[in-house]
Amino acid sequence: MENRVGSAETNLSIDAYLRALTGIERGSEKLPDTFQRLGKNGRIVIFVRDENAQSEFLGMMIGYVSWPREVQLIKVAAPTVEKELANIEPHTVAGVVFCSVNPPSWLGHRIHLGSSIVLVPVSEASP
Amino acid sequence: MIIPGLIAALFTIFIAGFGVAMLIFARSGRINLVECSCLAWLFGTGVVSLLLWVCGTFCSGFVLQAVVTIACLALAILGWRAKQHANATFALPRPATVREWILSGIVLIEIAVLLFVYFKHTLGWDGLLNWELKARYAFLNSGSIPSSYYFSAGRAFSHPEYPLGIPFTELWLYLWMGEPNQFWIKIIFPLFYATCAPLLALLVSRLSGKCWLGLLITALLPFVPSISASPGGVVVGYVDVPLSVFYLAALGYLLCWFKTDDRQFIVVFAACSALLPWIKSEGIILWAVLIALGFILSLAKHRVPQFLVSTSPGLLLVLCWKIYLKVVHLWPHSDFVTASFSWLRDNFGRLRDIFGILFQELSEPVHWSIFWLLAAVAIVYLFASRKLEKVILASAVVLPVILYSLTYLFSSWPSYSAHMTSSVPRLLLHVMPAGWLAIGLALSQPKSENQTL
Repeated sequence: MENRVGSAETNLSIDAYLRALTGIERGSEKLPDTFQRLGKNGRIVIFVRDENAQSEFLGMMIGYVSWPREVQLIKVAAPTVEKELANIEPHTVAGVVFCSVNPPSWLGHRIHLGSSIVLVPVSEASP
Repeated sequence: MIIPGLIAALFTIFIAGFGVAMLIFARSGRINLVECSCLAWLFGTGVVSLLLWVCGTFCSGFVLQAVVTIACLALAILGWRAKQHANATFALPRPATVREWILSGIVLIEIAVLLFVYFKHTLGWDGLLNWELKARYAFLNSGSIPSSYYFSAGRAFSHPEYPLGIPFTELWLYLWMGEPNQFWIKIIFPLFYATCAPLLALLVSRLSGKCWLGLLITALLPFVPSISASPGGVVVGYVDVPLSVFYLAALGYLLCWFKTDDRQFIVVFAACSALLPWIKSEGIILWAVLIALGFILSLAKHRVPQFLVSTSPGLLLVLCWKIYLKVVHLWPHSDFVTASFSWLRDNFGRLRDIFGILFQELSEPVHWSIFWLLAAVAIVYLFASRKLEKVILASAVVLPVILYSLTYLFSSWPSYSAHMTSSVPRLLLHVMPAGWLAIGLALSQPKSENQTL
């Protein structure tokens, strides 16, 4: 990704990609802050679209910035994840992130982090 | 503190490598400053990254930084003392004719342009998620990769099993800057290009006896689109260009050793070839190719023991890395199945597709312009010359390409053709500077007199 010369920001590359993919400004700071509010324990489950480079890359970026929290990347073929979500054990998960994937309709409390990224805290993710 | 830290980090890398280069070349009596500076960057990145890896298991934070800095200074002092002890002098090669001055000017302008272009780009996918990620996590863990990273199945996308040569060079800059800065970290990649260009000029000049030819070949180097553009080019922070520079140096000095029988060249070969598997996993294929070709050269020269000794640093590094991966309980590489005869038999039918995709990529002008056409002509010419060193050089370009292609027989991707299409342009970059070396030597006429570079 090309940018202007002169912006010597610490997280230049992460921020540039997150801005381009989701519209989030300073995503390298905002996303970890958001994930910290989910509590100290529990992993983050990230759903990405299989064979969708943009969705996969976004999922990996979420995995990158959420360090040191454990993450689980799940590739899904369909645009919805009803079945995959049912397999998750809620007590080990802090939140579920959907990258270019539609959350199930029964999930009410959705936090739109950006244009193609939705976070659902774990207590809301159980059917 | 960021800029002074960056300068200090680069300076320590450079003086450590310069010390090693002086230790090698002191006995020659005349140390080529350009050559020594180029090798200083290669040796320096190797030394610093290896020291961080080894010392990081015993200490961390400021102590680690101090220990590695002292080791860098010690190498510089040892090198200087060796130079003084041998009464060696520095020599700065200068262009002798107007043609050489013009070509030198073009090469310098090209380096400056690539440096400028580089700062306009973010790190690419692999540059960020495979390499910089490790440097950042190690920085946040006071200088060593946290063991939890190796157990993190969710971060397997970042290939924890990849070697740490470039990530730990980046880590060194982070430690000195005091923060993981993704803007300034990019500077190491154009520096690899700035190393590659003079080294290519020097090796072509040395092996052909024609300085202008070396400069001409070097001036043509950035006209291959892949070196300056995605995928894998110098602007996106991938390790393919650094790996190609190490391969060029190892191959070039192997040929110099064959030509002159000078021990200092086999030492440079030993160092550069040893670092190939430390830069990227595929480096082990390049290392194996060089060992096989070098062995043939050593047989012809009746210098087999000397050559075998030169392979020991690489062998040691490969073994140490394998043991380390076992110790951290790293899971196997997920992109390929374990090679076996049954897999080979089952997937043999892929060969036609694989070489079809390879040919398609080699003839892709958007990536390579006419480079592979020139390289193909040069390779045919070198093989036809029936001179051992020229056949070896041509083989050093052809063999890695064939071996890389054959690895896709064992691709575990659902679509091996997609796997190949996505990665083979970057793999071809590894032999691109060596290909220019082949073109340069094919263009030269045999010359008996010794050159002075």
